[in-house]
Amino acid sequence: MSDSDAILAALGVSIAAPALGAAATRWTPLVRSARTVAVTTATIALAAAGLAAWWWHHGNGAAISRGDPLAGGAPVVFDGLTALAVPYAALVQLAILVAAPKRALDGEAVPRLLAGGAATLALLATAHPVLLVLLWVATTVPTFLSLRASPGGLPAARVYGRTMAVAVACLAAGCLFLVRDPPWRPGHGITGDIGGWLVAVAVMLRKGVFPLHSWYPAIYASGAYGTALAATMAHTAGATAIRLLVGHADGVAAELVFLAQAALVTTVYGAALAVVQRDLRGLVGTLAMSQSALVLAGLAGSLPTELCGALAVWISAGLSLTGIGLVAWAIESRAGSVPLDAPQGRADDAPALAMFFLLFGLATLGLPGTLSFIADDLIVSGALDEQLHAGLLVILSTVFAGIALVRGWFTVFGGPAPVDRPRHPILPRERVVFTTLLALLVGLGLWPGPLVTSLERIAGSLLASRHDAPSSSLPTDPSGGHPP
Amino acid sequence: MITDRLLSGLVLLQVAAPAATLAAVGLPAVLGITVRERGITRIVGAGFTIALAAALAALGILAARGFTPHNVHMGTWFHVGHHEATVDLVADALSIPFVCFSTGLCGLVNAFAGKYLHREPGFTRFFILLALFGTGMNLLVLAGSIDVLFAGWECVGISSTLLIGFFHDRVAAAAAAVRAFVTYRICDAGLLAAGVVLHAATGSGDFERAISGGWPGGTCLLSPGTALVVALLLIFAALGKSGQVPFSAWLPRAMEGPTPSSAIFYGALSIHAGAYLLLRCEAILEAAPLAAWLLVAIGAGTAIHATLVGSVQTDLKGMLAYASMTQAGMILAEIGLGWRVIPLVHVISHAVLRSLQILRSPSALHDRHELAAALGGHPGPDGWSLVRVLPPAVRTAVDHIALERGYEEAVIGRLVVEPVLGALRAAAAFERRVVALLAGDVPPLRRGGDR
Repeated sequence: MSDSDAILAALGVSIAAPALGAAATRWTPLVRSARTVAVTTATIALAAAGLAAWWWHHGNGAAISRGDPLAGGAPVVFDGLTALAVPYAALVQLAILVAAPKRALDGEAVPRLLAGGAATLALLATAHPVLLVLLWVATTVPTFLSLRASPGGLPAARVYGRTMAVAVACLAAGCLFLVRDPPWRPGHGITGDIGGWLVAVAVMLRKGVFPLHSWYPAIYASGAYGTALAATMAHTAGATAIRLLVGHADGVAAELVFLAQAALVTTVYGAALAVVQRDLRGLVGTLAMSQSALVLAGLAGSLPTELCGALAVWISAGLSLTGIGLVAWAIESRAGSVPLDAPQGRADDAPALAMFFLLFGLATLGLPGTLSFIADDLIVSGALDEQLHAGLLVILSTVFAGIALVRGWFTVFGGPAPVDRPRHPILPRERVVFTTLLALLVGLGLWPGPLVTSLERIAGSLLASRHDAPSSSLPTDPSGGHPP
Repeated sequence: MITDRLLSGLVLLQVAAPAATLAAVGLPAVLGITVRERGITRIVGAGFTIALAAALAALGILAARGFTPHNVHMGTWFHVGHHEATVDLVADALSIPFVCFSTGLCGLVNAFAGKYLHREPGFTRFFILLALFGTGMNLLVLAGSIDVLFAGWECVGISSTLLIGFFHDRVAAAAAAVRAFVTYRICDAGLLAAGVVLHAATGSGDFERAISGGWPGGTCLLSPGTALVVALLLIFAALGKSGQVPFSAWLPRAMEGPTPSSAIFYGALSIHAGAYLLLRCEAILEAAPLAAWLLVAIGAGTAIHATLVGSVQTDLKGMLAYASMTQAGMILAEIGLGWRVIPLVHVISHAVLRSLQILRSPSALHDRHELAAALGGHPGPDGWSLVRVLPPAVRTAVDHIALERGYEEAVIGRLVVEPVLGALRAAAAFERRVVALLAGDVPPLRRGGDR
């Protein structure tokens, strides 16, 4: 078995494990503890994804692809993006499953989370247009069903379902046009241009980019935190943008510029909205929307610093916001909804959760020594190098996000607490998850060298593929090395 | 060569020692392990003692070498393309004396707070934040590049915010902490932008690429236009941290924190971080005379404002906060006038006096009674003020303005805060309506809107 086969086998295990876990918990009546099955399969997925990424990094670093490509996009691709995004998504999935409150993982919730997780991992490892469309559907359906099953979640499910239906339709039509008439080929017609714009609109919808963002805070407001985090933190739209647009920037330059500008506006708008939210769910949702858009704004850039910054934000904001969301979930599961219109005084009854919320908040703000500090530095520098207003908007968004988070912390945990309120000690499994996420954020912040080198390689190959694109069709390796 | 290595090691130790104590005290807290009070104060105290000893030794070596600047290149933290974040520290006539003074003060406050906060529920939290502050302050002072300086600056700002809100069960303390953080965050954007402009202009954040020669009397290597932009951004950053007009409203409220942290932050070190920043970049300021004169105007204006407002304060810590603001304003004006050593001496002398006053403030009444008992009666009239020579009508008008804190907050609130918050609340309400519409015109989703 060659290295490539072994890497792809590990990738296959990482996708198959949660899929099998979903099937087992859904259809096997003998399975008594759905959480045990879920955590086991998610751990296997993370271990396999980590192994594949490690193997790939220690090999020649060339992109691996399998299957017949359609317009250059192979059904299975293992490149820099896959090596980064798949272990990250598997980690987020595992963190959600371990830290989720007990009652959140009953009934249909576990199979939905696992099925959505498996589809997400598969989506991050393909560049095939048809598979991308199918996997968009596969990742959307479990989220829709979970939202619909949440108490009071039907309106959000409607918003989400309608938005995603339009997004999938745009993506399908866009891919069809791109395949028929790639806009990066000389002498292309208007069909290719329309295709590029349709894919851009699909990415905007899926990513929650202004003005097509309404579903994003809505699912945080009404769904379970686990559902919302699983649906948003994997950045599947970002991966799709890389596969279909970013690698061909010379052919879809106008679309990318538009995406970048809209994402920048969303970054500021989301962070600004977070300042005036009146409950914790709204705060987490708008901040997640802002940070998620920042990833897209950087991905659409044309400088390695900016692209590296975007990929670093992908990881840092994902880990820190997952932490914040999980802590908020833990608080809500113990004490009910958390309004922000008056101080709640929860620091005394949940001191450990207060500490972790603060630490994840500081990690999101770019506390020196955390990965967010590096990510902010890179993305601000890159954005300012490219366009002054872009850099200033990114700085403005960090100002708003910081204010929103600190205000949120002092409102949730500050203020007098009723003397008869019960104390809520942190559970060991929650402490393990929060400590692990923090350790990653701090570890990668203090020793960013290996990660940044890896991100620079991905950014470099992305930029190189843009220049190669006009003379070829969709490359199989838009984010790392050359096909074998 | 050996002296160079020794000096580099000593400089590194000044940052590493408090950072190690931060890890030593912070990690058990994250892991849920309880450490005894005495253990915590000893660990943090040991860190500051080691850093102080290293700073004093470095000062001796530096003095023996005639205060020739010594750059410590610790390597490149990370780099992407032309963007390089280097970890550079500098030992010179500005940084090392400042570290001696700041670390010594941190050590004293550590010893004081160990007794003062005995059995306080947030005892461990206080010392974690003190260690974070000490690490940040030393990083800020020893920084040889704007990247490192920004890292220290952020640590100082975050520890300051969390210490203002230390008694988080008090609504006023939480509100004061948020107000301080909002000011910091807005003004920190200036430092961030200055760093990016420096990177764009010189390809690096190293001060030695922007300023040649030692401190004081360096030469700015930037073009006049870039120097002006960087100087203005640095001044903007300094105004927030130093509580200058129009960003001064947070400072008197910051006294909500525990007395030891008020002493070290708003009497001694944090309030002078802005002055230090401008002293470090004095050559850039000198190359931008417009910015320097703006600094003089703001500093002098703040000094007058704070003197008048401070004279009508009815609580001791509020009065001390305005007294600190006055001195900080004067120090910034001195820097703007092109003086270098006088502001540094002013910073150190003011910091020592003010921290002593703030630390003694809880026992002020006791002191007063003791003094009266020793004198056998009232100590006598209070000090003389220039305001007393004004005609009574003018004096009354001045007092009214002072009681309203110079209308600074009202103006900022009316012109900036209210319009921004109003617009954001309107946007949030619009968002709710859009979601309701998309959901099929059902009632808005629960709670996800504006305040």
